[in-house]
Amino acid sequence: MSADAVVVGAGLAGLTAGVRLAEAGLRTTLVGKGPGAMHLAPATIDVLGYAPDLVERPAAALPSFVAERPDHPYARLSADTVAASAEWLSAHMPPLAYVGTLEENYLLPTAVGVPKPSAFVPEAMAAGDLRSGSRFAFAGLRALKDFYPALLADNLSQAKLPTGVTVDARAVHLSDPGTEADVSPLGYARMFEDREFRSVVAAELLPRLEPGESVGFPSVLGLHEHRTTWLDLQDRLGRPVFEVPTLPPSVAGIRLFHALRDAFLAAGGRLLIGSTAAGAETKDGVVTHVVIQTAAARPTPIEARWFVLATGGFAEGAIFLDSYGEVHESVFGLAVSGVPAAGEPRFVPRYFDDQPMGRAGIAVDERLRPLDADGNVAFRNLFTAGAALGGAEPWRELSGNGLALASGFAVASAIVEWAS
Amino acid sequence: MDTMEWVRGSLDHCVKCTICETFCPVSNVTPLFPGPKYVGPQLERFRTDDGSPDASLDYCSGCGICTTVCPQGVKIAEINSQARAKMKAQRGIPLRDRIIARPSAMGKVGTPLAPIANFFLKNHAFRWLVERTLRVHRKAPMPLFAGRTFQSWARRHPPLTPATKAIVYFHGCSANHFEPRVAQMAVAVLEHNGYRVIVPRQDCCGLPLQSNGLFDDARRYVRKLARNLEPYARRGYDIVATSTSCGLMLKREAREILELEDDEDLRTVSAHMFDICEFLLSLHERGALRTDFRPLDMRVPYHAPCQQQGHGIGKPALELFGLIPGLEVVDSDVACCGVAGTYGLKTEKYDIAMEVGAPLFRQVTAVATEVAACDSETCRWQITRATGIPSVHPVELLYRAYGLS
Amino acid sequence: MATLHTDVLVIGGGSTGVGVARDAAMRGFSTVLVDRGDLATGTTGRFHGLLHSGGRYVVKDPKAAEECIHENVILRRIAADCIEDTGGLFVSTPIDTPEYADRFVEGCRAAGIPVEEIPVAEALRREPRMNPLISRAFTVPDASVDSWKTVWACARSAQAYGSRILPYHEVLDLTVEGGAVRGALVKDRRGGEDVRIDADFVVNASGAWAGRIAAMAGCDATVLPGKGIMIAMNHRLVNTVVNRCEMPADGDIIVPIRTVSVIGTTDQKVADPDDWQIARDEVQKMMDAGENLVPGFRRARALRVWGGVRPLFQDKAEGADTRDVTRAHTLLNHRQRDGVERFLTITGGKFCTFRLMAEDTVDALCAEVGVEHACRTADEPLPDSEPGRYYWLGSRVERREPTLHEDQLICECELVSRRRLEAAMLRRETVDLDDIRRTIRLGMGPCQGGFCIYRATGILHQVEKIPGEAANRSLLDFVQERWKGVQPILYGDQLRQARLDDWIFQGILDVAHLPGGWVGAA
Repeated sequence: MSADAVVVGAGLAGLTAGVRLAEAGLRTTLVGKGPGAMHLAPATIDVLGYAPDLVERPAAALPSFVAERPDHPYARLSADTVAASAEWLSAHMPPLAYVGTLEENYLLPTAVGVPKPSAFVPEAMAAGDLRSGSRFAFAGLRALKDFYPALLADNLSQAKLPTGVTVDARAVHLSDPGTEADVSPLGYARMFEDREFRSVVAAELLPRLEPGESVGFPSVLGLHEHRTTWLDLQDRLGRPVFEVPTLPPSVAGIRLFHALRDAFLAAGGRLLIGSTAAGAETKDGVVTHVVIQTAAARPTPIEARWFVLATGGFAEGAIFLDSYGEVHESVFGLAVSGVPAAGEPRFVPRYFDDQPMGRAGIAVDERLRPLDADGNVAFRNLFTAGAALGGAEPWRELSGNGLALASGFAVASAIVEWAS
Repeated sequence: MDTMEWVRGSLDHCVKCTICETFCPVSNVTPLFPGPKYVGPQLERFRTDDGSPDASLDYCSGCGICTTVCPQGVKIAEINSQARAKMKAQRGIPLRDRIIARPSAMGKVGTPLAPIANFFLKNHAFRWLVERTLRVHRKAPMPLFAGRTFQSWARRHPPLTPATKAIVYFHGCSANHFEPRVAQMAVAVLEHNGYRVIVPRQDCCGLPLQSNGLFDDARRYVRKLARNLEPYARRGYDIVATSTSCGLMLKREAREILELEDDEDLRTVSAHMFDICEFLLSLHERGALRTDFRPLDMRVPYHAPCQQQGHGIGKPALELFGLIPGLEVVDSDVACCGVAGTYGLKTEKYDIAMEVGAPLFRQVTAVATEVAACDSETCRWQITRATGIPSVHPVELLYRAYGLS
Repeated sequence: MATLHTDVLVIGGGSTGVGVARDAAMRGFSTVLVDRGDLATGTTGRFHGLLHSGGRYVVKDPKAAEECIHENVILRRIAADCIEDTGGLFVSTPIDTPEYADRFVEGCRAAGIPVEEIPVAEALRREPRMNPLISRAFTVPDASVDSWKTVWACARSAQAYGSRILPYHEVLDLTVEGGAVRGALVKDRRGGEDVRIDADFVVNASGAWAGRIAAMAGCDATVLPGKGIMIAMNHRLVNTVVNRCEMPADGDIIVPIRTVSVIGTTDQKVADPDDWQIARDEVQKMMDAGENLVPGFRRARALRVWGGVRPLFQDKAEGADTRDVTRAHTLLNHRQRDGVERFLTITGGKFCTFRLMAEDTVDALCAEVGVEHACRTADEPLPDSEPGRYYWLGSRVERREPTLHEDQLICECELVSRRRLEAAMLRRETVDLDDIRRTIRLGMGPCQGGFCIYRATGILHQVEKIPGEAANRSLLDFVQERWKGVQPILYGDQLRQARLDDWIFQGILDVAHLPGGWVGAA
């Protein structure tokens, strides 16, 4: 097989890069063992949430954040790139309708009732913004085990918001129709796409709401017809309705995946899901092929001019720590930086303490090309995006999707520029 | 082979992310199947050889989508297949499953009696009787016997001369007994591209036996087939298949599900095995595919079957269709048509299969001007049965566009 | 201050303590048992789950071996519901001394342990992942046993005979009057109250902590805490207990118990049973040992590591290697040793012999107080146990099957349903999710609570009607408790899982910023 560009990884970073490359007219192949972390994570684009204190204004916080962390991927990505990538996503994925700016973070409730900072959010989540305080009712669904509105409301009422306001929150438990005791978020998403179901839910909920209350649902308001579902519910209830992300799988994340995948295919990209990128062929500091393992017992090399590594980090198995303590990057055999020296602790006993392995990942140059152990560019035509990047602690900083989107966007820019 | 990489060992990679369950076509339409993660890596930790604790796993259709999408590398469908085989071995395999799992035996009986056999297959009373006695649903798609096998056609078919290139064709049971035209068109398309087509003697690959839990019989069939094909593969011939599910059986499933990783014949065959569209597209990428296509002015819904997606090669048929002027193809975004080989034939699963396929059938009905395209025979029969729209193998569109008809 | 009166006060809620409480209660004594924590959270709850056939000790410690097989037969009779009849294999691996095998067989015969040599091919057919280079294989009646389940069953039985079981009651001091122990002052660690317990007799069954309790009465009981670590692997790598046919050594056994297989163990003397670490080289040692028994072991998924401290009694404490101390138990009569009456210390021994230890103890107690009551614990099965009806691994799946549509699965890895979880919360009267865990195995599977901790907390908050802050505390404590056991073995698939769990707890739920929770990342 051959292509102009090969992207390895089908998460937010890989698909963002893939869509942009394909739309720029490059013959682009995207190889993914499966869909990436979009299926698991909330669809909010968190750029920077904690540094380590709560970040209210990411644009203003970024310069000092990177100044203190010269190895952080944001040190390679300007705030303009971050903003441009989010703008690209909003403009490109109209059905997802992202709102927000890099200037200010929203504070949206998590499923356990913590106000969580996010810069860009799907419009169906925006009404959950807690910054100006308000009155909220959180709707619990009978058969959904991944959402506990009473605990959420209890915690939210105790939350200390930087604006000094307080939140008035309570739970409403619905006895929605159905006989199954255990319905998945996706199962509910399909049920909500049915008008009849929505009307039953609204009829039960409406008389139990109080004036001025906005209504939070778990993030299950439709999959393919999400916008219609959400707007219809809002109409029926006559007040703002919003979604609260909960445990994986993330319905909102699946919507994002579908939108990007469809855009990639529409742009003529070739998508290989179910194959593993098992290695690469290189020559004179340049990657010539990525070798994939399909169902057949033979390696399948894909020849290309540019390659993007967007396979993720430890969570995705793209970077792997073996039982002897050796760290491996599985496709290109890249050096992994930020790994504590042999004999030093990798992890420490207290969970919330700083974990020495926490920032391990691929070190890159200013164009996001991986560096070897000596700090030189490993391969001139190989770029890295997403959770493979070292230097960040995305789940603590709340920077995961922000980094994935911006780095995927940036590597595509670098390749497109090179190609022209 | 490393025991940790056995099918069962792959459950160690499961992080409970549940991606498989978001894709599972069956658990998304019926609560009777508790989902691939549940019956797969999750319950496997509770299974030993002494007794099968769960029956619900039998509602897995074996489509394999879960394995295809699992980003962690868990062989979910394979774990389920093995567990089900053990369960069925303990609880007994119904006569029905033993019969429908042997298409080549059915073919041998039915071919000489084709007119009579077909009369019965089309007869409602007979189908009702079969449903009552064997629990094969009376509305389930059943192919008709062609009367003359592809093998007998191939024996009389003069080889292409002169030819500098040769290729081996694995046609499978269905093309032999039910759809010899598909095989003949595949031969014509390959010959049009300068290949002498070798058709070795071949019998069933064992896939239906495997998916019905008859592992010992399946092993016997697939090993024999691999023995017949291996001499060609060893000499460097590529092997193409028009049956995408049987091709996958030879590429991977037999090695993994039937635990035949050590079978050298099978490994050699797998290394040379190509789905026909995969092969033709690779020719095109090397500039070796003839592109003298005439326009086909039609709009065709294309469904890449679940088993085709298991190859991990993308959708080469779509790219080939892109070479045909005038042809408008709409890719179905539906994972499975529901039938999954023999699953949808079974009375207790027929409704589930139809519900799984419902979005596809709606799309086919809305899009098709003449035909639908699909790589797998049982899926084509299911689509046609459900929509009334003829479904063709992608090679048929190439065949028509080459003007070979 | 509340005061309780009892015939017998038992200190220590491990297997020995509940065994003594049950035995004493069955012989007609009123009994109170206290433990500073939950039941079975000391050494009892922290071993690999082997029900010894005695094979391990036949060469080195024949007395212990005899005790083991004697009790093995009895426990199979009285505690079948807690035992999985896996059978055991002793195999000579390439690194083992070939001559040992014959001594082993001889020892088994002498100790009365049924032993049979089987062909290597047959052993490999039974356990296909086992090292194919083994040269000999022997079957023995080893089994695996769930110590929590056993202890709780004993406790329920003791309660049925009138015992009071008081977990989370820590002994602050013993009351010694007129040369005899008269009771104890204890603190209710959950309610915060002090309680005075007046007792005619006190049994110190606090295992590795026995020295501390004895000292409160001015008595001496020197116990060497011998630390051993164990690693639970994600699934059954073997379905039979597999032992190296060799003198006891580090990592000489893999025990299939419940959904996991556990490799154990090490033996290292520690100064304080409450203060020790799991070192990286210990983990590596276990991995190498695992690789020897099951090739590829290092690439399999390790779920969790933990350690326990054996209470090894030796009159002269200095210098001994803990592995050389006998595994047989020791009963100390402090009247004879220290001139303190009405006070016994029972220590040493092992889980498998807890019933015998209890019997010996209560026999001595009867002798001290001058009564005669026969022991009946060997004959009466524990609640829910019937002789011959062993625990079956598939039982949870079987129970789940008919309720698939009626009940939610909260802990998916260990198949804990919502009804079962709610029932456990109400029965245990606790808001501590770790107590719930030991009762129903909540959060003990591959994801180590990644998916069920949020669910369980939400349910706890509803069922127990506790304030959000208390629920948050439970959640955070449980997250920390799970982390403690995975962080020393974080590599491969379990690191992948831990990162996904990080995403859930921090990236999605942001639990670090819960009200009343952890403050700040630093």
